[in-house]
Amino acid sequence: MMVDASFPLISVLIAMPILAGLAIPLLFKNSQKYIIHYAIIVALIELAITFYSYGLILTNGSGGEYNFVEGPISIIGNFGIDYLVGMDGLSGPLVLITSILTLLVLFGSRDLIEDRKVLYYSMIFIFQGSIMGVFTQLNMILFYVFWDIVLIPMFLFIGIWGGPRKRYAAMKFFLFTFVGSIFMLLAFILIYFNVAPHSFNIPEVAGKIPLSLQVISSVLFFIGFGVKLPVVPFHTWLPDAHVEAPAPISVFLAGLLLKMGGYGFLRFNIGLLPEASAQYAWIFILVGIITMFYGAIVAIVQTDIKKMIALTSVNHMGFVMVGAFTGTVFGISGSIFQMFTHAAAVGIMFMLSGYLHEATGTRNITVIKGLKFSSPRLATLLILGSMAAMCIPIFSTFISEYLVILGAIQVNTIYALIVAVPAITVGYFLWMLRRVVMSDIKPGTKKWDLSNISTLALILYLVPLVLTLIAPWLILDVANPISTFYASLVSGGAA
Amino acid sequence: MDTPIIVLIILTSVAVTSPLYGIIFGKKSIKYVQYITTLSLLVSLVLLISSTLSLTPQESTVPHLLRNDTLGSFFSLMVILVTLFVTITSFDYMKGNSNENIYYSLLLFTAIGMTMLSFAVDLLVIFVAWELMSLPTFILAGYNKQDKLSNEAAVKFFILGALSSGILLYGISLMFGITGSTNLEIISQSLPTVSADMLPFIIFSTISMLAGLGLKLSIVPFHMWIPDTYEGSPTTISALLSAATKKAGFAAAIRIFAVIFPLFYFDLALALSIVALVTMTLGNLAALTQKSITRMLAYSSIAQAGYLLIGLVVLPYSDLGLLGLLYHSFNHAILQASAFLAVALVRLKTSSSSLDSYNGLSKVMPITSFCLALSLLGLAGIPPLNGFWSKLVLFSAAVDGGYTWLALAGLVNSAISVAYYLLVIKRMYMDETSLKSIKEPFIFVSILLFASAIIIVTGLLPNVLYNISEDITLSFLSNNPV
Repeated sequence: MMVDASFPLISVLIAMPILAGLAIPLLFKNSQKYIIHYAIIVALIELAITFYSYGLILTNGSGGEYNFVEGPISIIGNFGIDYLVGMDGLSGPLVLITSILTLLVLFGSRDLIEDRKVLYYSMIFIFQGSIMGVFTQLNMILFYVFWDIVLIPMFLFIGIWGGPRKRYAAMKFFLFTFVGSIFMLLAFILIYFNVAPHSFNIPEVAGKIPLSLQVISSVLFFIGFGVKLPVVPFHTWLPDAHVEAPAPISVFLAGLLLKMGGYGFLRFNIGLLPEASAQYAWIFILVGIITMFYGAIVAIVQTDIKKMIALTSVNHMGFVMVGAFTGTVFGISGSIFQMFTHAAAVGIMFMLSGYLHEATGTRNITVIKGLKFSSPRLATLLILGSMAAMCIPIFSTFISEYLVILGAIQVNTIYALIVAVPAITVGYFLWMLRRVVMSDIKPGTKKWDLSNISTLALILYLVPLVLTLIAPWLILDVANPISTFYASLVSGGAA
Repeated sequence: MDTPIIVLIILTSVAVTSPLYGIIFGKKSIKYVQYITTLSLLVSLVLLISSTLSLTPQESTVPHLLRNDTLGSFFSLMVILVTLFVTITSFDYMKGNSNENIYYSLLLFTAIGMTMLSFAVDLLVIFVAWELMSLPTFILAGYNKQDKLSNEAAVKFFILGALSSGILLYGISLMFGITGSTNLEIISQSLPTVSADMLPFIIFSTISMLAGLGLKLSIVPFHMWIPDTYEGSPTTISALLSAATKKAGFAAAIRIFAVIFPLFYFDLALALSIVALVTMTLGNLAALTQKSITRMLAYSSIAQAGYLLIGLVVLPYSDLGLLGLLYHSFNHAILQASAFLAVALVRLKTSSSSLDSYNGLSKVMPITSFCLALSLLGLAGIPPLNGFWSKLVLFSAAVDGGYTWLALAGLVNSAISVAYYLLVIKRMYMDETSLKSIKEPFIFVSILLFASAIIIVTGLLPNVLYNISEDITLSFLSNNPV
């Protein structure tokens, strides 16, 4: 049963943060004392609306269809550009994690961001609103519009509040992702002119795209989404961007921005081009596997803890890619679940790396020693966060990777070799913990530890991970209907 | 109502009389000249807006010379709007120059030429309008007569401009020889009946006209003068040249090529598509390496001409072609004018146009930096600004017209162009500056903000301009089946 709210829920989810963000320069021109309170209140309202809408989908079990559909409202009516939004089992978990992460990022920014606060907080909300747009927009051109708007706040985040090489990293980030998006746009235009009647709306073009165009489009989409996800060989912007970005922004980068790529692969490659995806699945899965191994192996040798975590993201995103292209219910559900859990797991790790830098003045794994003595809270959270990133079964990251592996084995037993990836991940995380946390303290090291409130904020990252381990149905009941539908599309395409 | 004639009369009467005020009233007269120039442009603008929006076809008093159609109104609307921006910003920019009265008079003469060119349907009228538009700009380009660069700009512009006028006239005379008329309507009727022996002459005439027009359209290989002239002339004049005269040139090109396109003796579209590809690629690649922002914008303007040419290429194959051309012309006029005028303000205040002087500019000139950043993002085609929508329509037109490779080329070029536009924004917002806070003149800044408002509003509500462009396209194509 499709849920239809009389209230334009999704438009509020998109517009409220953007308007709240635009209001910040007017409201806090003179004094920035209460800016963080304002920001947190806005984020809480957004979170409440998200919980409400997600809860409705969950209780109705309507993840397989678009809920809260608004539109089509004509933007350029004669050219097929309509405002059309909806939320299904694929967008639901991503919208949920967007709202959660924004709140958590605000808690983190409280400690770590000092200058140009007005611009910073207004960009946070513009970013949040446009990410919401990306995940809910069902018109391809407006999807592209939101996709590109996201780049501008992120460009400023990295370029203004970043580390020593921030300008280089910001330019590289923008150019890579923009070039990728260009190819995606070409695919959208090609699809528009090749379906009858011409349309940019996803529900209207689904199932009408001829196979030859599907193949071309899937190549174009591969570039567009592959840069964002990122897959090897389009990943080189990611370590730079992550290392230079301030810690809260790294959370956004890894937690939300990369998910845009994963969302794109599922929504477009699987949802719109199922036949091409079925025929050439092995290529995508292969690329996914290479990405996993590459991320994991390169992460071993990193000395910068942030770079190590960034490469862990690459490795985890490989799972999203493989899960999506298995075309099985397990794989696709696992892929959606993985996007949700990875956001929280890697989010806490990035925040911790930021605090680690505050505490010790460096992020170098070989230099930091004896964290368990100098900052016991930080050390404890670092161990817990690492366990989440390692997919230890006290956190739901385990379930998501397990599902992906299950899906992959269902397709071909050879893919079982990806089980080795979590093993490598565990290896380098434990090695890092041994060097940073479990080592002896250098004499004369100053003590520095997290404040109560920061500790609490960091623990909040782990709550969804524990909760969804105990009750995985919170995500899977929403994701499974759409996975079943997509899996039927792909298996129909393979036959 | 015969809008073109009324507008021409209004503008001409002001243009002719305004230098006299200097003789009668002396130094004080400059204020009056400024006001009356602005007023005449405003009145013309209002008339043109109303005639663009009115859908009923209207008769012209000189139907064989000027056609009073919405296409002409639309183009003259945008050129008058840009001239208005340039005029008002010149209050500050040209302050203290000698012969200010004549400056405004020359601006108006250019506007008259451009308006006439937008409506002209006779090759000779096109030529006369062309000259009327060009001659004042030669003088305006060299207006800073003590400045060597300005002189170089003017001389280079004049020599190439005169040459191109000659070539254009040669093409026109050939066309007259072939068809026995200079009226475009009669040409379009008699061209298909011309014997096949004449084919070489038709091709030669077309190429001559393309070369003559190409100079103003800033298409490769007729682009050599652009960077030097844009850099040397007063920057407000660069704004006028790139945002207005180029658009008027496109109006003439549309009318001429719409007549020649139906002849399938030779593939004009293919030739134009190659020119478009080379123009956008060369423009963007050259822009990447520039050290001065005016030169960078000059090359970017060349690249944008390449995008606009896509519209001309697919004119016979897709309605979206002309639509995109009109739509992008308007957006590009606003974006380019806004960018150049912001640069003019920075040049006025820091007396430099090198890219280095933009480091940290957002801290000392926040409004100017914001407007410049906005127009650069618009030129790059970042949504939701207006430049994105019109580029989208142009590239879609290329796909629709069977030129998918050209769409791909345009998209890749957009990606290249983002690099240099973004570099300026990076300098303004992320680098450090040694400059002290600068006061931004109120009138100048309000024009920039007005242009920014147009950029944002037409970006958020794209269907207004899209629908206008669509109506114009349909009515033009129903009169001139291509």
